[in-house]
Amino acid sequence: MSASAARFATQVRGMLSRTPRSASSGFIACTLRIPQQQQQQQVSAVCVSMQPTVMRSYSTRPAEADHQHVRPKVTLATLRKLYKRREPITVMTAHDFPTGTLVDKAGIDMTLVGDSLAMVALGYTSTSDITLDEMLHHCRAVARGTRSSFLVADLPFGTYETNPDQAVNNAVRMMKEGKAEAVKLEGGKEMAPTISRLTKVGIPVLGHIGLTPQRQASLGGYKVQGKTVTKAKAMIEDALALQQAGCYAVVLEAVPEPVARHITNTLSIPTIGIGAGAGCSGQVLVQQDMLGLYGRVPRFCKTYRSLADEIVGALREYSADVKTGAFPAEEHCYPMPQDELERFMRSISEEKQMVERKNHATGHA
Amino acid sequence: MATPTRVAANQLRRAFAQATVPRSSRSSHSVGLVAYPALKLSENMTTAHKLCAFHSTPSQRPTAHPLCAQKRSYSSRPSEAEHLHHVRTKVTLATLRKLYKRREPITVMTAHDFPTGTLVDKAGIDMTLVGDSLAMVALGYTSTSEITLDEMLHHCRAVARGTRSSFLVADMPFGTYETSPEQAVANAVRIIKEGKAEAVKLEGGRELAPTIARLTKVGIPVLGHIGLTPQRQASLGGYKVQGKTVAKAMALLEDALALQEAGCYGIVLEAVPEPVARHVTNMLSVPTIGIGAGVGCSGQVLVQQDMLGLYGRVPKFCKTYRNLADEIVGALKEYSADVKSGAFPAEEHCYPMPQEELVKFLRTVGQEEAAKVAMEGHRHKVEQKPVAEVAMA
Repeated sequence: MSASAARFATQVRGMLSRTPRSASSGFIACTLRIPQQQQQQQVSAVCVSMQPTVMRSYSTRPAEADHQHVRPKVTLATLRKLYKRREPITVMTAHDFPTGTLVDKAGIDMTLVGDSLAMVALGYTSTSDITLDEMLHHCRAVARGTRSSFLVADLPFGTYETNPDQAVNNAVRMMKEGKAEAVKLEGGKEMAPTISRLTKVGIPVLGHIGLTPQRQASLGGYKVQGKTVTKAKAMIEDALALQQAGCYAVVLEAVPEPVARHITNTLSIPTIGIGAGAGCSGQVLVQQDMLGLYGRVPRFCKTYRSLADEIVGALREYSADVKTGAFPAEEHCYPMPQDELERFMRSISEEKQMVERKNHATGHA
Repeated sequence: MATPTRVAANQLRRAFAQATVPRSSRSSHSVGLVAYPALKLSENMTTAHKLCAFHSTPSQRPTAHPLCAQKRSYSSRPSEAEHLHHVRTKVTLATLRKLYKRREPITVMTAHDFPTGTLVDKAGIDMTLVGDSLAMVALGYTSTSEITLDEMLHHCRAVARGTRSSFLVADMPFGTYETSPEQAVANAVRIIKEGKAEAVKLEGGRELAPTIARLTKVGIPVLGHIGLTPQRQASLGGYKVQGKTVAKAMALLEDALALQEAGCYGIVLEAVPEPVARHVTNMLSVPTIGIGAGVGCSGQVLVQQDMLGLYGRVPKFCKTYRNLADEIVGALKEYSADVKSGAFPAEEHCYPMPQEELVKFLRTVGQEEAAKVAMEGHRHKVEQKPVAEVAMA
């Protein structure tokens, strides 16, 4: 590759890696393909076009940033604005680059790298099985695909309960190494001191009360919370404590609608509900659930697609195509220059003849 | 916990532990094995039905729900192995050999995590490949060479958790096998042991034959890979089709024969003109798996995200079977619109509260009106239709 082309390519790569969360509208990314052969001297720059034509390119080539309109970055101020004007806040989980990219593309306000990925992406039997390093790995991948959406990540079970110092250390890792913009951790008033520490050193915290999956064993299973007056009142106290500790919002999970609504009305920060009714300031769902990817769907989740069936169907079609020889067809193949092809076929048949002659000779030996 | 409950719980736990070993030979006899997740049973649980989440309250759920045919359960509950009424027999090297011998094309598909691996397995694909293409399509790196062995192991493990019958092979990432045969063996062993793969794939031709011979000698099955080898794209001058001249084609053939000699059970041919790939296939006595190499190979492989239209730009040799990026963005936009308009969540998505508690609660927080409404509304509901059952006890 020529020196100037290499420099340009490096610049492009640099731009791509820096894009994640800047307001980079109108950014055009080009990849240069400079063949080594002397015959093709021209530089064929592949630019992402304005028109949504299907670009054919090698799959292991990096995805290019498309330069369509990039919405302004969602920050805590944006969320505050939405809350103030009573516009519901949308939140969706993501666990890797493509899922994060699509959530961002769909204009979702907040992306959550939830520890639900332990089960829906990694197949663990419990969310408590995932380690901080694994969460960091997935958070980084989501961050690479996130440009505008506000990115928050779960602190997994065991990384914040011991003491506030531990929580600060691990939250810092999540921000620095995971590239998250905020962290979420489960717990009520008992977590207030820890959360205070985090918010004091400038780490935004999303609270989480109600059914807290990391604690499902101690809650006696995955059960709806706050169904009695006592429990509901305790939950209100928890929510207020979290607000006092500096949470920018609180997730309410699996809580009866009237209770969630009351908590929402009592607080002056947004509530994000999941299985908590329409009285919350926003909603969150697990992406695999709402896309019908994971099989069994919780009651509070509306399935918008049935992707497990779609994908298995597509894979079966591929399988049938391969078994019957329908795929690959001619359009899927690479041609060979005609003269080379002829020479090749000739040399093959020559070789074949040589081998046959040899066999014939040895056969008669 | 009552004694019979505890005994049953232990039995379930054992049954599940056995069920999570998909690749021993005895799994071929485990048709009809029902696996239940090892539930974290708390001391407070008294009802026996909680042992078996599979048969728990979903069956008692309200039938008025439009999606009542689906099983409703808590999403953070582990997925349960469905009743394995027709688990196909485990695909082994012997199976692949059989397919090859009777000239039945071998299907291969990539996967990078638990759901993608599960779906490939469900679809009956012969071989699952945890490819280092995941560096770009799943992790968003700018090159496949950026992924580390630990990252590959992490993803391989996740795929393995979802793989029961398909034969599982994983890529050795760039930098983990080129230095010496010893290095290759050490890392391949990690992929088999920690990654739970059954075979490894590595890129290269005859220069890697000694390394591959070492691996196959110590019993590690190896899938070769020649033609366009993405880890070496820089040295190849880019992502270009390989073997387009007679000289290159012949060199490719020599590479293939060397790999066969070294003990490869199959060889991936990537981005090679069809006649060349066909010829190489005919000259070998091990299967070739083609990608962008034409229909003359013994099998085919594609990157899952490409063929599902998830990744955006699609290579020439890939047929897109779906356009999932658009599907998913569409679904997410619908969700967003539903939330913004308050259409979601609707009543069927919510958890009810026992009526007396609700009334008491509303009174306690000073909402007398709402309390009255709740009392009236509940009576009204009782008269009109059956009250929705509480989700979980």
